[in-house]
Amino acid sequence: MAATLVLVAAVIGWPLAKLVDVLVADPAGARAAVTSPGFSRAVAHTLETAAATTVLAVPGGGLLALLTARPAVPGRRTLQAAILLPLLVPPFVLGYSWTQAYGDAGFSDRLIGVTMPGLLGPIGIVVVGAVTLAPFSYFVVGAGLAARAEPDLERAARVSGANAMTTLRTVTVPLLRAPLGAASALVFVLALEAFALPAALGTPAGYDTMTTRIYGDLAQASEPALFTQAITLALTLVVLAVIVIWPADRLFKGSRRPTRASSQGLVPSRRSALADSVAAAIVWCYVALVVVVPLAALLLAALTPAVGVSPTPANWTLANFRTALSGQTYAALRHSLTLAVIAAVVVVAMGLLVVMVERHRRGAGLGTAVTAAYALPGSALAVGVLLAYGRHIGGTLAIILLAYVAKLWPLGHRPLAAVVDRLDRDHDRAARVSGASPIGAWLTVVLPRLAPALCGAALLVFLTVLHELTMSSLLYGPSSQTLAVVVLNAQQLGDVGATAALSALMTALVLLLATPPLAWFGLRRVRPRPTTSVRIPQRELADVV
Amino acid sequence: MASFVRRLARVAAGVTLAAMLAAGCASGNIATSAGTANAKATSSDEIMLYTSVSQPTIDAVISAFNAKHPDIKVSVFRAPTGSLNARIATDERIGGLKADVLWVSDPLTMHGYDSQGLLKRYTAPAAKALPAQYRTPSFAGAGLLYLVLVYQKGLSPAPTSWNDLTSAAYQGAAAVPDPGFAGSAMGALGYFGEQQGFGLDFYKKLKSNGGVQVKSPEDVITAVAQGKYKLGMTIADGALAAVKKGSPVKVAWPAPGAIAIYSPIGVTSKSKHAPAAESFEDFVLSKPGQQAIAKTGRQPSLPGVPGIDRPDGAKVVSPDWPAFFGDKAALLAGYQKIFGG
Repeated sequence: MAATLVLVAAVIGWPLAKLVDVLVADPAGARAAVTSPGFSRAVAHTLETAAATTVLAVPGGGLLALLTARPAVPGRRTLQAAILLPLLVPPFVLGYSWTQAYGDAGFSDRLIGVTMPGLLGPIGIVVVGAVTLAPFSYFVVGAGLAARAEPDLERAARVSGANAMTTLRTVTVPLLRAPLGAASALVFVLALEAFALPAALGTPAGYDTMTTRIYGDLAQASEPALFTQAITLALTLVVLAVIVIWPADRLFKGSRRPTRASSQGLVPSRRSALADSVAAAIVWCYVALVVVVPLAALLLAALTPAVGVSPTPANWTLANFRTALSGQTYAALRHSLTLAVIAAVVVVAMGLLVVMVERHRRGAGLGTAVTAAYALPGSALAVGVLLAYGRHIGGTLAIILLAYVAKLWPLGHRPLAAVVDRLDRDHDRAARVSGASPIGAWLTVVLPRLAPALCGAALLVFLTVLHELTMSSLLYGPSSQTLAVVVLNAQQLGDVGATAALSALMTALVLLLATPPLAWFGLRRVRPRPTTSVRIPQRELADVV
Repeated sequence: MASFVRRLARVAAGVTLAAMLAAGCASGNIATSAGTANAKATSSDEIMLYTSVSQPTIDAVISAFNAKHPDIKVSVFRAPTGSLNARIATDERIGGLKADVLWVSDPLTMHGYDSQGLLKRYTAPAAKALPAQYRTPSFAGAGLLYLVLVYQKGLSPAPTSWNDLTSAAYQGAAAVPDPGFAGSAMGALGYFGEQQGFGLDFYKKLKSNGGVQVKSPEDVITAVAQGKYKLGMTIADGALAAVKKGSPVKVAWPAPGAIAIYSPIGVTSKSKHAPAAESFEDFVLSKPGQQAIAKTGRQPSLPGVPGIDRPDGAKVVSPDWPAFFGDKAALLAGYQKIFGG
C-alpha cells in the first residue's frame, strides 16, 4: 500500500504539483486565464462534447462487444480486429481522414453527392470522437464479458423463459455495470483531453474547446503570461475530470452483486443463426462506414500527387511515401518500439498493482488518482514531467517513458479493475481452503481470468505509444527521437499527401505488429471460460431465481 | 492474506521501478555512445539550436555550415512553435535555457523571448546587409514567408488584391487561416490590424461576406484545391509547391503586396558557447547560408539571393512588428470576437 502511494506520488503527484507551482509563481496569469471572456464558453464546449461522446461511444462499443461476443457470429475474428482499427490511426489524421471521407468535396460527395451534415462543428467532433473511442469501450466490455463468472446466470434466465432482450436488460447489462463504468471513465477523460479532432473539425466552425485554447496559448507562450494561462487551462481539465470521475468511481464501486432479474414478459426464444448473421451484418456496416471508408479516403490521398488532382489510378504515385520516409526512421522506429513494449509491461504491472490494493482495501480514490494525469493534454503533462525530472533525465528515453506511464496508467488499471470486480472472492478463498498457496491461488484462479484484460490493456498501451506525438515531440533529445517526431519533422508540415502517406504507413505497421496479440486476444475470448466448472455460489443463484 | 498482498504489491512496485531504471540506463547508454561518436569526430565546440523551422531547411543549413566550420557541432531540438515555447518555458524553470541559438518561424515569438531577456544583443556582420524591417538589435531574419492569395484555376475574374476577399464577387467563397493557430495568420492580423484602410474592419467585412476561418494556411490550399472555397490567404511556398505538383490552383500576389513574415535567428543571452553560436548565426545570414535555405524551396531574406518564383514587380509589405507586439492581445481579442475560436 505504502509502495503504491509512493509510486502514485512520484509518477503523477510530483509532476502535477510542479504544474500547480507554475500557477503559484504567477497568480495574476492564472487569474487572467479563468476570468478571460472565452473561458466559461470553452469549458462548456469541452464538457458538452465529452459528455455526448461518452453517451454515444460507451453503449456503442458495448453493443459491438455484445454483437460479436458469440463464437457463432460469422467472420467474428476479422470483425473484432476491424472494430479496433480506428485505434491504429494516429489522432492527428483522424479528423482529416473524415473530412476526406464525408466532408465537402470528399469521397462520398464525389461518389454519390452525399456529405455528413454538421461534420464541421460539435456534431462532427462528437460523432468522430465517439467512433474513435468506441474501441476502448469495446475492449473493456469485451474483457468483462470474457471474464465474467456468470454466463450461467444468462443461461438460467433463458432456461427460465426470458427472451434475449429481457436477458440482456435484466442480467447481462446489470452484470456489466463495472466494465461499463470503467469504459465511461476512460472515454470521458479521453474526450476531455482530445485535441486533434476539435482542432480539425471545430476551428472552421469557430467552435473552441479547452484543448484548442491551450494550443493557442502555447503557440504564443514566448510571453510568460500565456504559458501560465495554458497550464491553468490544462489543470482545469484535471479538476473537471476528477469532479466527474470521483463520484462515478464511488457509484460503480461494489457493484459485484448481480441484480435481481425481473420475471415479467418471459417468452422462450433462442438466438438463431439468422440473428447471428444479422448481428454480423450490422457490425460490418458499421466497420465499412467508420473504418473502411475513412481509411480508403486516407490511402487515396496518400497515393494522389497533389490535392485537387483526381485520385484515379492513372495519377497514382508513391512520391508521398518517399517523402514520409525520408527522415532517420530506423533509429526512431527502434526507440518507439522499445518505448511501446516497456510502457505496455510497466503500465499493466502498475495497473495490476492498483487493482490488488483496491481489491483488498477498498482504497477509496486511488483509481481516481491514477486517472488524474490522463486528463492532462500531452503537452501539459510533458511540461510537468520535465519540470519534475528534467534536471536529471531530460532528453533521455526514460523521461519519455515516465510521461507515457503517468499518462497511460489508467489504461492498465481500468480494464483490469472492471474484470476483477466480476470475480468472486469466494473462488480464491476456495482455492486457499483447498490448500493452494496465496501465489498459487492468484496464479490459478485470478490471473487466468485476468488474462484477456491484461492482454487488452497491454495492447492499448502499445498502440497508443507507437504513434504518440505530443509528449515525445516536447521531451525528446538528440538520442531519443520517436517515430512520430522524426516522420513529422521530415515532411513539410501540413503537406496533405505526405501526412496521409505517413498515417497509412503507421496504420499498416501497427496493424502488422498488432495482429498476433489481437489474434491471441480473440482466442482467449473464444475459449468458454479459462477456469471452468466453478459452482455458482448459492447466494447469487438465489438472487436471480 | 493481507501480508501476502503487501509483499506482492512491493514486488510489483519494485519490478516497475527497476524497469524504469533499466529504460533510463538503456537510453543513457544510447546517449553516451552518440556522445563518444561525436567526440571522436572532433574535439571542440558544440552548440544547441532550438528551432521551429522545417527539418529539411535545418539539415541543409547545418551541412553547409559544417563544410565551413567542421569544428562546431550543431545539435538540434526541432518542434512546432507551441512545443518549442513550452520547452523553453520549462528550461527556464529548471536551471536555464539550454539553447545557444534560437531560430523560430515568426518575429512575434522572438520579440516575446527578447522581452524576457533571453536574447543577446548581437548583430552579426552578415545581418547588416538585410533590410532594416527584417532585423532588431538582438535578432535578424534568416528567411521569409510571403502571405499571398491562392485561387482555383479558371476562377474569373482572378483576384488581384487583398480587398477581393471582402468583395461581393467572391461571396461565401474565401478562406483565411486562424491566427490563434498559425503564426503566419497572426502576422497577417498584424499587418491588416495596424494598416490604414484595413484594420479590424477588414475582418468584419470578410466575415459578413461569408468568409470562413480554417485551421492553417495548408488547410486553405487543400480546401481551395478541392473546390470547397474559391480563394484564400496562404503561404506562397506551400501554394507554389501545390501548383508544381499539379493541384488545380493558382497564386496571386495581391495589392498592396504580399505580406512578408521573417524567420528570426538570434544568440541566447546565457550561451556558454557564444563565439560558436555567433558564427552560426552569421553563417545562416551570409550568402552561402542563404543559398542553402533557398535550395530547400524557401525564400531567403538577403536581397540578391534568388528564392521562390514571383512575378515581375511583385510588391511586398511588412507588418510593423514592434508595434504589433504591443497591440497583439487587443487585436487578437477583437479578431476572435468576429470569428470565434
